[in-house]
Amino acid sequence: MTSSSNSRIQAAPATGLSAPQLELEGVGVDFGATRALDDVSLEFAAGEIVGLLGHNGAGKSTLFNVVSGALRATAGSVRVAGREAGARPTPHEMAGLGITVIHQEPALAHNLSVLDNIFLGQEHLIERGRGEAQAAMALQRVGAEVDMYTAVATLGLGERQLVDLARGIVRGEMRVLLLDEPTAALGRAETDALHALIRQLAGEGTTVIYVSHRLPDILDVCERIVILRAGRVQEDGPASDYDGAALARALAPGLDQGAYRTRRVSSTTAVSLRGTFAGVSAAEGEVLGLFGMAAGRQFEILESMFGLNGRYRYELGGEEIVIGSPSAAMLRGVHLVPADRERDGLITGQSALDTVFLPWYSRIPGKGMWIGARTGETAYAQAREDFQVVGPGGEAPIDEFSGGNRQKHLIARWASVERPKLLLLSQPTQGVDVGARIDIARAVHAIAQQGATVLVASSESDEIDLLCDRAVVIADTQFTSLERSENFSGSLLATLLNLAEEASKGTVS
Amino acid sequence: MKLKRLDLKTELAKNGVFIALILLIIFFASVNPNFLTVNNGLNILQQVAELGLIAIPLAMLLIAGVVDLSVGSIASAAAVIAGITMANTGSLTFGLLAGLGFGLLAGAVNGVLIAYLGFNPIVITLGFLSVWGGLALLMSNGRTIPRSDLPEAFQMLGNLSLGPVSFRLVLLIAVALLAWYLLARHRIGRAIYAIGGSQRAAHMMGLNVVGTRFGLYVAIGFLSALAGIMLGAKLQSISPSLGVGMEMNALTVVLLGGVAFAGGAGRFGGVIAGLLFYGVLRNGLVFMQASPFLQTVIVGLTLVLAVSLDESIQKIVKRAWAKRGRQALAELDAEQPAMRLTNDHAGTNTRA
Repeated sequence: MTSSSNSRIQAAPATGLSAPQLELEGVGVDFGATRALDDVSLEFAAGEIVGLLGHNGAGKSTLFNVVSGALRATAGSVRVAGREAGARPTPHEMAGLGITVIHQEPALAHNLSVLDNIFLGQEHLIERGRGEAQAAMALQRVGAEVDMYTAVATLGLGERQLVDLARGIVRGEMRVLLLDEPTAALGRAETDALHALIRQLAGEGTTVIYVSHRLPDILDVCERIVILRAGRVQEDGPASDYDGAALARALAPGLDQGAYRTRRVSSTTAVSLRGTFAGVSAAEGEVLGLFGMAAGRQFEILESMFGLNGRYRYELGGEEIVIGSPSAAMLRGVHLVPADRERDGLITGQSALDTVFLPWYSRIPGKGMWIGARTGETAYAQAREDFQVVGPGGEAPIDEFSGGNRQKHLIARWASVERPKLLLLSQPTQGVDVGARIDIARAVHAIAQQGATVLVASSESDEIDLLCDRAVVIADTQFTSLERSENFSGSLLATLLNLAEEASKGTVS
Repeated sequence: MKLKRLDLKTELAKNGVFIALILLIIFFASVNPNFLTVNNGLNILQQVAELGLIAIPLAMLLIAGVVDLSVGSIASAAAVIAGITMANTGSLTFGLLAGLGFGLLAGAVNGVLIAYLGFNPIVITLGFLSVWGGLALLMSNGRTIPRSDLPEAFQMLGNLSLGPVSFRLVLLIAVALLAWYLLARHRIGRAIYAIGGSQRAAHMMGLNVVGTRFGLYVAIGFLSALAGIMLGAKLQSISPSLGVGMEMNALTVVLLGGVAFAGGAGRFGGVIAGLLFYGVLRNGLVFMQASPFLQTVIVGLTLVLAVSLDESIQKIVKRAWAKRGRQALAELDAEQPAMRLTNDHAGTNTRA
């Protein structure tokens, strides 16, 4: 208890140069009953650039957090250059071992200057009278051309990432550099500059672990590729073994295959987009997938169609409409199940019954003039049956249900009380267990069968594979339509990759 | 059966103010036998009538995630405007129209700035607390409008009653019933809770966030003006500072009633219990001949204690009852399964 944090780092017997820079041995992490990481053993040599891939929930972030000290492993050990981290390492301790983490959104104090941020929390590193020189050197190393006296708030995201990196540089020896989606908000030129810097740091002996959804970026800079699936290492090999298609194949699992059944779709066009995505259209009763990168344009399209991004024009049922607000969308029979269900969909403490009926009280019999204990009971029971909801009764707060059942309530809200003409689903099966995924798929197909058009936006190919009759693959402003095929999710990813490469070539010239 | 019973207890645990109210009444009744009389009960209700007219809509505002600190000043200014109008025209009707009209207008101004334009409710209404309070003093030159300047009818308004029940109490009951209906039984109530719980999620399910909040501000403006005028009628003269401190008293009542400042949570019954608690405490302290200054100190301390203890008490009570519930279930399991149905009843009796 009284020992300082440093004494908890046990010096291992010197093993000389043979010790890997970073070594994970049998690392496991449990969140309650969920196993986020399961017996992961990996070795990383000095100077290696490793791409870490996997779907959401595959364990990438968990692995990251274990190495950075933000999360404690429930099993196994982590060694940095042969020295074992203590049983309860802190981020501070891991930083002391030479681990630097650059998050997608750098954790900097926005109102302080670049200089202050570089030394924030590590003021002891300032050599008397040389603080500015140290900072200037670090900034020069990372290639950041910023005035160190300006506030961080005035910098762009790319520059903020570089400042964060400079924080790691002043700390001295940088053994391991973890990058989380570093290029998500960067343009082509900034990405190239960052990749050059990564190669330079690797050349000096830093091990770089690079997480990205952007497969072209991974293939561009990484020498080795590790793919995680359901908390385990699924593939681990040199990057030269992979091209886009091979990566896509490795990422697309056949987990939910068989849930989809070919359905007959009418030929009447029900929905077609205007503007950038003119040409994207869906028929009555069709489930159309919009597939793209994480945080890609496909989500924006659905939000716009629901009136969340100002006035948006498109064609619905042969009629041109302009939607400017959710209530206007609802009047037209356009319903959206948002991607972030906890933030945008559910309200903590609301009863399960209210969760389903809240938007509709003015339209149910009696118009919500008298809401008693039994109001909506039969319709709610029907919805529960349609979606196979498991959990406490309708009067219980929605937070007492599991994630999958919460999502079922949300979809029931938008699909079973009032039948939608156009149902927009944003990542409808994200963070939902396999059983619930199949229940949701069945319910969505039933809704489509009754004549509704369904659009599904997703960045996960197996979700599209599970739900959709056809897909449109979107990379930035480029898109292409893809019919259902044998290896649907694999070809989705491959198409996306090609599009993305074209798109990036387009911006470079 | 058993589950329902346990639920009832948890419900009670959520509203510790009910228990506190009963304890307080028992305490004052044991100290002074004259406390627990019908007359004094009516007296208490009449004393808190004006406060209730403001506290009830204020609770709805807090549940919807906003607040109005300008209510006391709206009350003062509305009373002064009504008073000046009556002094000049001699007509109660014109006075009421002017005063209540001002209340609607002041509420609408708050509503436009906060609901439509999205300014911070605390900042805006704190500003108008000053503006309307200052306006009341300015219009009256800081002088009380005396009884002699006001029409006969206004004095009658203060004394109006239906049998033993005064008109101000009828107003309170009417407002309370309407608020209960809207909050607990009408779709507007569901919308109010949803908006306070998550403005974004409420917007994304097509609920009218802006309109609902605007309506609430207009309503509280109107009721604050009504409360100010009724207070003037009770005192038979109109002081430009009659509403001073009312926003704090109303907030005290609402928070005592278990409404969360963060929005989205709070129940109608709790607010009424909070109002009664406040009234009983004030009245009881008068019975005990405590100085009015000490009363203020005690009311404040009660709020601090209530809010800070509320959560910890809830936890303790819940844990204790959960334990008893488990014990009862275990006892039940130990008995013959065939006897379970009949025992259900007996078990609850012995536990009571």
